Amino acid sequence: MDYSTQSEFRHRKLQPKVRMRGTPMDSSEPSLLFDDTSTGGQPSGHGRQDKAPLGYAGQTLLSDPMSNLAMAYGSSLASQGKEMVDKNLDRFIPISKLKYYFAVDTVYVGKKLGLLVFPYMHENWEVSYQQDTPVAPRFDINAPDLYIPAMGFITYILVAGLALGTQNRFSPEILGMQASSALVWLIIEVLATLLSLYLVTVNTDLTTIDLVAFAGYKYVGMIIGVLAGLLFGKMGYYLTLLWCCASIFVFMIRTLRLKILSEAAAEGVLVRGAKNQLRMYLTMAIAAAQPVFMYWLTFHLVR
Amino acid sequence: MAFTLYSLIQTAILCTNAIAVLHEERFLSKIGWGADQGIGGFGDEPGIKAQLLNLIRSVRTVMRVPLIIVNSVCIVLLLLFG
Repeated sequence: MDYSTQSEFRHRKLQPKVRMRGTPMDSSEPSLLFDDTSTGGQPSGHGRQDKAPLGYAGQTLLSDPMSNLAMAYGSSLASQGKEMVDKNLDRFIPISKLKYYFAVDTVYVGKKLGLLVFPYMHENWEVSYQQDTPVAPRFDINAPDLYIPAMGFITYILVAGLALGTQNRFSPEILGMQASSALVWLIIEVLATLLSLYLVTVNTDLTTIDLVAFAGYKYVGMIIGVLAGLLFGKMGYYLTLLWCCASIFVFMIRTLRLKILSEAAAEGVLVRGAKNQLRMYLTMAIAAAQPVFMYWLTFHLVR
Repeated sequence: MAFTLYSLIQTAILCTNAIAVLHEERFLSKIGWGADQGIGGFGDEPGIKAQLLNLIRSVRTVMRVPLIIVNSVCIVLLLLFG
């Protein structure tokens, strides 16, 4: 019993002390300076006085078999849990493939944002390959990435909260509603695109994650539109949204044309045939859906 | 216009149910969408109608048992929690 009280006092004392020990050990201080505020109450004061000199050395935490056992058990449990989560997660979400989409750097992000807003001067839209695998986005500006869509989504939620706040319509639940609403529309859009790609039997190397990335690029335009609407009123919102809609439209068409259409048609040669025409319509439909969603998701934020 | 993930799940279940209940002989064959009417030419291009029919048939085959389970769960939950 004496032993258990001893260890419990040591636990209570040592937890806050480990936190406070950012500074080097000036253990010349009297024990009262550290012990007073953390434990409090009379019963611990009694044991505190004679345990204080021992308590300073951090090794008492490890030499105490009970806490040693607990720590070992806890760490083994944590590593087991981590293994299990990793194994199961890898089955559903391909983590290694996701890492490719986040391999970006500042230069790429800057250039890509510029391209999303002004795609009219860019000439070469082909994704460069390196021995059959697409090059990481860091090295090729045409490669899709997931960093900009993810950041854009989160920023859109925050900007929506800001816009609603300036109109006194804000409440914390609204943020959650906006987030889930936008997410649901994104999922619907990606599913509709997947369905139409399946129906038109396009032989393309567009993966689902690519489609999520392309669908997420419109958040950039939406954010710019809403911010312009906050700063300059409805006129600013409409003008900026119009500009961003047009640039997203051109961006999507030029990017998807190379992936969906056949080689010859992508180079601008007019290839007749129902198949290519259908593919062109599909590209235009996907690109035209972007401005519609951009307006649909932002018009209620700017009054 | 506030969509939640829950309403998305509801929509997905309802749509999948709707596709799965299209009966092969009683309905699809009558309107020319039967399984044998989809495989038209054996060329390289299946065409949209063939793809659609293929999709309907595969949804019916693949999702039959999961839909039974999911629908039962939904019924129980809706009865319990309204």
